Amino acid sequence: MITLNHYLVVSGILFSLGLAGVIARRNILIIYMCLEMMLSAGNLALVAFSRFRVTDGLPDYTAQSLVFFTITVAAAEVAVGLAIIVALFRTKQSVDVEAVTKLQG
Amino acid sequence: MSVFTIEAFLAILGLVLLMIEAFAPDISRRTLAALSIGGTALALVLFFTVASHETSSLPAFVQPWMKLDSLAIFYKGLSLVITLLVLWLMHECAPYLSKYTVDGRLSELFSLPLIVCAGMMWMAAATDLVTVFVALELVTVSFYVLVAFARKSNLALEAGVKYLILGALSTGILVFGIAWIYGATGSLSFEGISAALAKPETSKVPALLGAAFLLAGLGFKVAAAPFQSWVPDVYQGAPIPVTTFLSVGSKAAGFVVLTRTVEALIGEHSIIGPEVKALLLVLGALTVLLGSLPAIFQQSVKRLLGYSSISHAGYLILALACGDSIRTGMTSGGIVAFYLATYLPMTVLAFLVLAVLRVNGQGEDIRDFRGLGKRSPLLALALTLALASLAGLPLTAGFMGKLFVFFSLVDHAYWGALVCATIGAAAGFYYYFRAIVAIYSTEGSSNEPLKLNIASKVGATVLAVVIVVLGVYPKPLQHTLTKPVEVAAKASAH
Amino acid sequence: MLENYLPVLLQIVIASGFAAVTLLISVLVGRSAKRTAIKDSSYECGMLPLQEGQPRFSVKFYIVAMLFVLFDIEVVFLYPWSVIYKDYIAAHGAGIFFSALSFVSILGVAFVYAWRKGALNWRN
Repeated sequence: MITLNHYLVVSGILFSLGLAGVIARRNILIIYMCLEMMLSAGNLALVAFSRFRVTDGLPDYTAQSLVFFTITVAAAEVAVGLAIIVALFRTKQSVDVEAVTKLQG
Repeated sequence: MSVFTIEAFLAILGLVLLMIEAFAPDISRRTLAALSIGGTALALVLFFTVASHETSSLPAFVQPWMKLDSLAIFYKGLSLVITLLVLWLMHECAPYLSKYTVDGRLSELFSLPLIVCAGMMWMAAATDLVTVFVALELVTVSFYVLVAFARKSNLALEAGVKYLILGALSTGILVFGIAWIYGATGSLSFEGISAALAKPETSKVPALLGAAFLLAGLGFKVAAAPFQSWVPDVYQGAPIPVTTFLSVGSKAAGFVVLTRTVEALIGEHSIIGPEVKALLLVLGALTVLLGSLPAIFQQSVKRLLGYSSISHAGYLILALACGDSIRTGMTSGGIVAFYLATYLPMTVLAFLVLAVLRVNGQGEDIRDFRGLGKRSPLLALALTLALASLAGLPLTAGFMGKLFVFFSLVDHAYWGALVCATIGAAAGFYYYFRAIVAIYSTEGSSNEPLKLNIASKVGATVLAVVIVVLGVYPKPLQHTLTKPVEVAAKASAH
Repeated sequence: MLENYLPVLLQIVIASGFAAVTLLISVLVGRSAKRTAIKDSSYECGMLPLQEGQPRFSVKFYIVAMLFVLFDIEVVFLYPWSVIYKDYIAAHGAGIFFSALSFVSILGVAFVYAWRKGALNWRN
């Protein structure tokens, strides 16, 4: 039987993997993928919490409606983000984090 | 007509401007600027006539998610004012900005701020986390584009990438926090969260986990520790008008959400109230120090203002941690709103001077301020006032804001945080006055007078006057932000 | 029952141990040798490599894919809308129709913008 805890553990693992990737990876595209993984972890937790909070035999759909919004917002974020990363690649011919270290005090 | 109509009008105007530019690419920059500035000014006028009516309410279909209280109305007005000022700054900077875009056009630069403004206005009235999230992301995603807009400049592109990565990171953390808050309380509305947290049977650990993630995610938007590192870089790389918008608009919108979130989290009998307060105090004190101390070594004014923006966010978080202050008779939300209202003119004025110097072909370092006293006495005086106010010199607006924060820290006897805030303020005096000294030194500077158009002169004068008026006579604003009755009732309930 | 898995465990230990030892040896032994650009280049039957291994995709693919994802994902809101459409109109009136109409028209504006800006033009 899969319980709420199982979902939360998976969500926690996804979140940690994403965070570790953001910190450790050098390629901006991979970093961006890890960020999307963190968002998915949040979505999974939201859906799981929502599914297991049953009132009158029906799950509470409030949090699931938020998941719709996070998915679409993530899509918009990806579109804008990829556009910026492509622009970066065109000028620097690289998507390594080393390419963005000019701004320093 | 309701306030919602004005917000919808702004968003539609933004879309219409996009369409105009898409179908008539030859349209002049001046026309686009006039349309967007005119539209925002009209919205501001309409807003004042609508908001002054006691009966102004929201249409039925948004009422479940939005509420118009005095705080919401204040922040909506603030959003409109800063958008208008930013659009004007964009118009002033247009000649040099258009050099850095691929086709030399600035179309989206005049329509995106309108959409951002609508997003900020919705955020100000939002009563649940779904609405907050959508409005917040509308603002943040538009800002990704704005920051990287001048993409022929490598610095702007780099700033855009940094803002994008850290912004997306904070979004992920925010969603995770919302999920756990929902898991602990079973609600996404601020009222529901507050009510659930007041019940002793609510589990504490998930709620704390959610609160910590939520505060960290929102902390990014207001430039607070531990997500403050993007601020100086992005401020330096982004075009001046966008930096202005980030430092005032994005911060104000973040703080209205933060105010409501903190109110829900540390409400009366909240089971996680003491922990959240402690967390906020530590974060606030850390933010003040991480903003003030590195600022001492900065040469670029934009970076300096970036660090200053961090330290100001720190004071505001300290104010939020304190809750209501009896000595000043203001709620924590009122103090934050007042502080932001004083923060607007001084920051915009500082960036206006930078923009004028930039249009005159100069850089953005402190040494570019040299000789300003001779080249344009009016601008020098206005900038001196702005910097003194940022430092918190008495009789300027910035002093009153800081005073309220210090008062409420004293009220609640948070001595450790008070010491950190004092260190930050002292460091502030050093680095702002270093800039003021540069204004009046003549060594190694050119003597030719600055080219200043009439709008810049009027704008600088008005902003300077606002700084002095708010510093000398803050009572009216203070009263509109806090109904004295509310505080008295809350104080007696404690 | 767990004993049945012992071979699997042994297999895992041997496999990862072999990989670790080989990597370790190559690091230890390889450090002494001199590295040159020619030594580091990829070996292809003695011929010099002509170009990068992975051909680069044209940016057009990314733009079209991005636009597709954007417009595709927005449909997520229309599914729940269509499910409750009839009941909602019967109970609360036609407001739900206009809310979806405004949503779709915003998407329409975005589409027209992309089209006029030449994002859908494959030739340029």
